[in-house]
Amino acid sequence: MSSDTVAVIGGGPGGLRAAQGIADIGHKVVLVEKQRYLGGSPITQKYYGLTPRGEPAQPQIQQQIDLVMANPLTEVRLGTEVVAVDGEAGAFTITLRTEAARDETFECGAIIIATGFSHFDPGRSTQMYGYFEFPDVITQPDLEAMLSEQRVLRPSNGEVPERICFIQCVGSRDRQIGNEYCSKVCCGVASKEATELREMLPDSKVLIFYIDMRMYGYWENEIYWPAQEKHHIQYVKGLITEVLPKGDRLLVRGEDTTMGRPMEVLMDLVVLSVGMEPSPGTRDLARLAGVRQNKYGFIDAPGTPLDPVSTDREGVFACGAALGPADIEDTVSSAAGAAMKAVGYLRSRAVAKAN
Amino acid sequence: MTVTSSPPRDTDAHYKVWDVAGYADVPRETKARLFEQVKGDLRFGDYLYGCYECGICVGACPSAKFYDFSPRRIAQAAAREDVDLIYQQMQEDIWDCSQCFSCVRCPRGNNPGGIVTIMREVAVRNGLASAKEALVGYTRIIYKIMSTGTQVSPDMLSKDSFPDWGPETADVADNLDLWRRALPPETMHTTTTGWSVAESTLIELYLIWMETGALDMIAEVDPGLHTILLELMEERLEEAGFEV
Amino acid sequence: MTIPVEALRRAKAAEEPVADRRALDDPRAELLELERQGELIVQKIDREAISVMTKYGREKRIQKSHLWHHKSCGQCGHIPGYSTSIFWLMRKLGYDYHDPHDQTSCTGWNYYASATSNPAAQAAVAVRNFAAAYETGYFPLIHCGTSYGHYKDVREELIRHPELRAQVRAVMAKLGKPLVLPEEIVHYSEWVHALRHEIAAKRVRDVSGIVVSVHPACHYHKVVPGDAIYDPDIYGGQRTAVVTGLVEALGATVHDYSTWFDCCGFGFRHILVQRDFSRSFATLRKIEVMKEEANPDVVLTHDTGCVTTLDKSQFAAMAHGRNVGLPVMSDAQFAALALGAHPYRVCQLHWHSADYRPLLEKMGIDWEKAWAEFQSDLRRLESGEKRYLDWDDADGLNDDSGPH
Repeated sequence: MSSDTVAVIGGGPGGLRAAQGIADIGHKVVLVEKQRYLGGSPITQKYYGLTPRGEPAQPQIQQQIDLVMANPLTEVRLGTEVVAVDGEAGAFTITLRTEAARDETFECGAIIIATGFSHFDPGRSTQMYGYFEFPDVITQPDLEAMLSEQRVLRPSNGEVPERICFIQCVGSRDRQIGNEYCSKVCCGVASKEATELREMLPDSKVLIFYIDMRMYGYWENEIYWPAQEKHHIQYVKGLITEVLPKGDRLLVRGEDTTMGRPMEVLMDLVVLSVGMEPSPGTRDLARLAGVRQNKYGFIDAPGTPLDPVSTDREGVFACGAALGPADIEDTVSSAAGAAMKAVGYLRSRAVAKAN
Repeated sequence: MTVTSSPPRDTDAHYKVWDVAGYADVPRETKARLFEQVKGDLRFGDYLYGCYECGICVGACPSAKFYDFSPRRIAQAAAREDVDLIYQQMQEDIWDCSQCFSCVRCPRGNNPGGIVTIMREVAVRNGLASAKEALVGYTRIIYKIMSTGTQVSPDMLSKDSFPDWGPETADVADNLDLWRRALPPETMHTTTTGWSVAESTLIELYLIWMETGALDMIAEVDPGLHTILLELMEERLEEAGFEV
Repeated sequence: MTIPVEALRRAKAAEEPVADRRALDDPRAELLELERQGELIVQKIDREAISVMTKYGREKRIQKSHLWHHKSCGQCGHIPGYSTSIFWLMRKLGYDYHDPHDQTSCTGWNYYASATSNPAAQAAVAVRNFAAAYETGYFPLIHCGTSYGHYKDVREELIRHPELRAQVRAVMAKLGKPLVLPEEIVHYSEWVHALRHEIAAKRVRDVSGIVVSVHPACHYHKVVPGDAIYDPDIYGGQRTAVVTGLVEALGATVHDYSTWFDCCGFGFRHILVQRDFSRSFATLRKIEVMKEEANPDVVLTHDTGCVTTLDKSQFAAMAHGRNVGLPVMSDAQFAALALGAHPYRVCQLHWHSADYRPLLEKMGIDWEKAWAEFQSDLRRLESGEKRYLDWDDADGLNDDSGPH
């Protein structure tokens, strides 16, 4: 039996936008989310401000959740995992599992995978940054959570940090790790977080060590220039080679490539700008839905650039960071595209059938 | 061969002009030929991908802290196939490298220290001035490793050679034979080699040096040593019944 | 308060390590595949072995006994207590070994110093030694960090380049030997690490008051880094576990310092013909930093060049009033001392330059008495009573004072 329902797997910014779009144009949508709440990484990781403009993450995401919840065509399944995808395009059967109840199934005609990314595990880095060795080495999401609490402290001693640095490209652009791609967002997020730090801790000195600052489009004038001109964040071209303790601080060592000389600088807090990898959910869904992944595990969109959301399997679409590194703006754009593609697919089937 | 005027260059920004450089300039064809030899090494493709100037290698490099040496510049020059700069590095930089391979941290997978190894080999094989200079005082060490199969034997730690190592090193030299005989492993009673290497083992080693061209590599850079080692090895190999 | 300090620590502790795809880079599997194709022979581990984890999570097996000791030029040549301590530990634990005459240097020291060799020659030298081990049935154990690193590089080149294999095979054929490589290339400090609890169980001297700083050898953990041993319980799995793991197992204390990753300054050619560099680097970047930040009783390392550079470079610096003066030795020498080995007969500390006597005193070792015992050994040699000392002499079985 063919179905005119669309299944959206994943309730982050992409899944929320896709579900809205589908319901807005009059199709039933089932939104399946593994967590017991909607919102995805911005909520799970306690994001403080959204890049690029820094609006508070929680209320912004809540607005999107409210739009989804308000639409009667939307059914939301929380605390639920997809464990099987059977059938074929137009008539998929999806098996769901929750902790409480027995497995159940529902029918849908098309699927949108919106399962997103995971932050790179900094313990796996080629770089010797000691994330699991030194309390004062943290990641961008760790800092987001601290910013959200309005308490940025050195985990080693609870003191307010005076000297803070970001190390870019941790787990990205690295042949040795196997993540050869750029994670796109970390330059902007680092600059946004650095700005927030300077606002919260006006006496702090904040440095960003980078290979290239990838501040495309409006990120240049909206984030990068103010960071330098207004907040006096220091950008140093050269990555950090290693982090080691010196007294109760951290010594970061690398090359200042612009000046062409080795550098060694003491820091109170080191923030690793960890890149993106496909989330476990993205890997699982790709396998369950039988869609091709690229060598990094993200879902492949063979029709890109003009069709960046269709997978290699008919009736199955993907959006956002399930397809590769993406910021929130790109994620919701591709989610809207995926919603249109999925609904368009169902309607064209219905038309063909009627004829 | 020295030329009298500066050769044409794509850009002058990176180079020392030839008449202030610490080495004689050579025609560009010579530099290109030397680079072709570097590039022709079977390891070159394993050692160089691309370089985005992150400087991780420099931060890890001991030589960069004491010399005007940069593994990043080595990788960058090789990636640009800039034969002028590469020639300059072969004459001025490569012997500063510590060969510790701290630079293989490179996120692109480069091995700047390995590129230096290859550049050094080419410098030796072609008898470049930098190689000759670097190997001054090194003759007896090459002789030792090639002829005995062990390096820096106990009797090489003489007071004259290592005055900066303190009086304990002089004690070793003064008591060498006795202290060696006091070592419990029976292979280590030697003074002219690190341990006692079997005669048949040495013959096999000589055959390797001859067959792989390793011995001939020093013909340009140290002809005297080459002749001595060649005669020694040929004689011993012939005695052992090998055709050379 | 949910995130700062405690919550972040908990978050870090709870984080599950993600499997590293580099664990799939398995030189052992590649060798076995080449063996299947008839390209070469792989010498297998054929005795009891201990499994350890490498940097990216590949399992590496360390054979406990029946080992072919690939000696080190520098260790045998001028820090002989290094080699002797490795042998002594193996004897103490009751594991048999073979100390071959049919072994040459890896010649890596010369190669990295002078470049007067080439990949085929270096690979042939390596394979000749491996073939010599294979003929005896003993499994190779590499004493020198540079030999270990160099051989891993050679293995990678042989796996990657069929034309190099063909060239080396042809040279080997002239020697009447096969192209053979061992299943794993094992450094002695890996053997020490794998057996550190067995070693610690035989400890007779209390080292709990001893503070140690560790210098890891570049050619051990930077060359083909995927083969070096890591342990989640040591440095959070973020730095190599060898040496440090042993020190902790013996009950001594490790103090960290900010130039841990730095090279010692050996430089291969520099230590011989440009010692101003080696000396400056070893003292300014390593010994002085250790003194200032960690103030250890001893510096332990696990490679030939590092012991030499760090030890010998201190004399001139001390003459200039620099803040140096730390004894330097190998993990094997330190372990041997902790297990009751004689400081001169076994550990041969009289070949070292920096003053080790305060350390011995702190370990409860009467070095004056020990030196007198060693002097009486030497008199027996001088009088012609014996030509050489042996292992019984080293354990004091032949002197009046009885065994130690």
